Amino acid sequence: MNVPETVATALDDREVAGTRCLEAGAGAGNATAGLLANGAARVYAVTDDSEHARTTRRRVGDVGDDTDDSGGGDSNDTDDGTDSRDDRLAVVEADLRAVPLPDDSVDLITAHGLCNVLDPAALSAVAEEFSRVAAAGARLVVDDYDPLPDGAAIRELFAVENAASELARGRPALTFYPAAFLRRLFAGRGWEFERERTLLEPVPWTESHVAAHADEAVSMAAECPEGAGDALAAASRGLASEIGSESVGRMYSLAFRLPR
Amino acid sequence: MQTRSLGDTGHDSTVMTFGAIALNWLEQEGANQLVEHVLDYGVNHVDVAPTYGDAELKLGPKLRQHREEIFLGCKTQERTYEGAWRTLDRSLNRLGVDAIDLYQVHGLEYDEELDAITGDDGALAAFREAKEQGLIDHIGLTSHGHPDLVLDALDRIDDLESVMFPLNPVVAGKDDDEHDYEAVLARADERNVGTLGIKAFAGGTWPSTDELPESDRPFANWYRPVTAPDEIRERFDFAAAQGLTSVVSAGDPKLVTMILEAAADYDGMDEAARRSLIERVRHDESPVPEQLHH
Repeated sequence: MNVPETVATALDDREVAGTRCLEAGAGAGNATAGLLANGAARVYAVTDDSEHARTTRRRVGDVGDDTDDSGGGDSNDTDDGTDSRDDRLAVVEADLRAVPLPDDSVDLITAHGLCNVLDPAALSAVAEEFSRVAAAGARLVVDDYDPLPDGAAIRELFAVENAASELARGRPALTFYPAAFLRRLFAGRGWEFERERTLLEPVPWTESHVAAHADEAVSMAAECPEGAGDALAAASRGLASEIGSESVGRMYSLAFRLPR
Repeated sequence: MQTRSLGDTGHDSTVMTFGAIALNWLEQEGANQLVEHVLDYGVNHVDVAPTYGDAELKLGPKLRQHREEIFLGCKTQERTYEGAWRTLDRSLNRLGVDAIDLYQVHGLEYDEELDAITGDDGALAAFREAKEQGLIDHIGLTSHGHPDLVLDALDRIDDLESVMFPLNPVVAGKDDDEHDYEAVLARADERNVGTLGIKAFAGGTWPSTDELPESDRPFANWYRPVTAPDEIRERFDFAAAQGLTSVVSAGDPKLVTMILEAAADYDGMDEAARRSLIERVRHDESPVPEQLHH
């Protein structure tokens, strides 16, 4: 599959070849694909979402089955026809607050678009796990979004999504941590800051992103008390069609290293 | 308007090249006006081809009036020596000029065609004779074909001075060899061969003709173009910032002023904004729905 430019840019000054990697929060498999393409020796793609685990296996794990390639062109992958799985990849369904990996077992951790779906308590627990599984000298790449500026229309949609999440589950769906905040958080756990890059500015929240967030809000609204749930679902649908798409905000990449 | 040196030709082309196919859709008076309009912005490179309907004929009057201000690119789809000579003569006649500044092999698509044009009886033999006779000044090539083919052409044609190929955020966002025109750009730069970008304003393909008959398409382009001023500007900035010598304007006259404005204002594009555009297009096309993040 194609490695998105965001991932490629976050990794292009990192040493990936030959490393044991933890991809924290596998999502659609984008960062996993980037790690494998850059020659990782092993990638543990950990997610607590079974749909994401399936998507990652399907998009990234099957060598030669490039689902991004809609054109039906010839695949150049060497496929011996027996086992088409990339044996460097292990997709693991687990909670990142309790990563099923031993202490000091990975050389590179990537958290690409992860922190914004962690509330502060979860973020703190996940950061602790990163420190535990990282070997001496390990590297950490954290890619995320700055808080959106005041005038951004999509903030309203995220506010509705968060309201539904708070009512349904008692925690926000999204928290946008400033780069400086995450930098201090990880520095406080012994990670030496190496660099910051801007991956996207503005961030293109496309129609498909907006629709996905609206769907998320609607599904959480269904778990809310009746009156509030209906109102939140209607509000998120209305906002999605009103917003359409919006390019706003900044996505950044932070890189750290543990001392040897 | 900014200019950049077109490889080793000695000519500095404006960052926008006027794609004169746009003239085909206008009456002569409108065509004259459009050429004046383009020249008012300082554009100094005009590209045409005999296969663009009446574009050569409609460009003729203003081309002749402003011959010194215009670096003229023309092309041939003929692959043989004789065919190339025949179309070159015809283009010179239709344009009404003594010489063409840049004569290009048009739309190279297959390996066999590269063999044909480079053979003893191939089009390039005619190009070289015409060059000796002062009928053309420089030799170029255009292709929407596989990037590997264009790379081969760069390796095999020593006197090639420009290449024209597609470059836009859709293409740049795809990693496979089939879309790796960035490799073509890099190789051309190494060889100091000029680079002309096409399809910079492509938004996607048209719906099938069952859904939308050709006669109901709102634009004359072969592809569905982006049409909003902001999108046009982003696409221009993207293509120019990739390092092309010049970006060829879209084929529909309705889009030309917006592209001229974008080209006149061009002031680079930073990397984060460039990636933002690739990312936006990638998600628009993505087969994976329901992605919350980038």
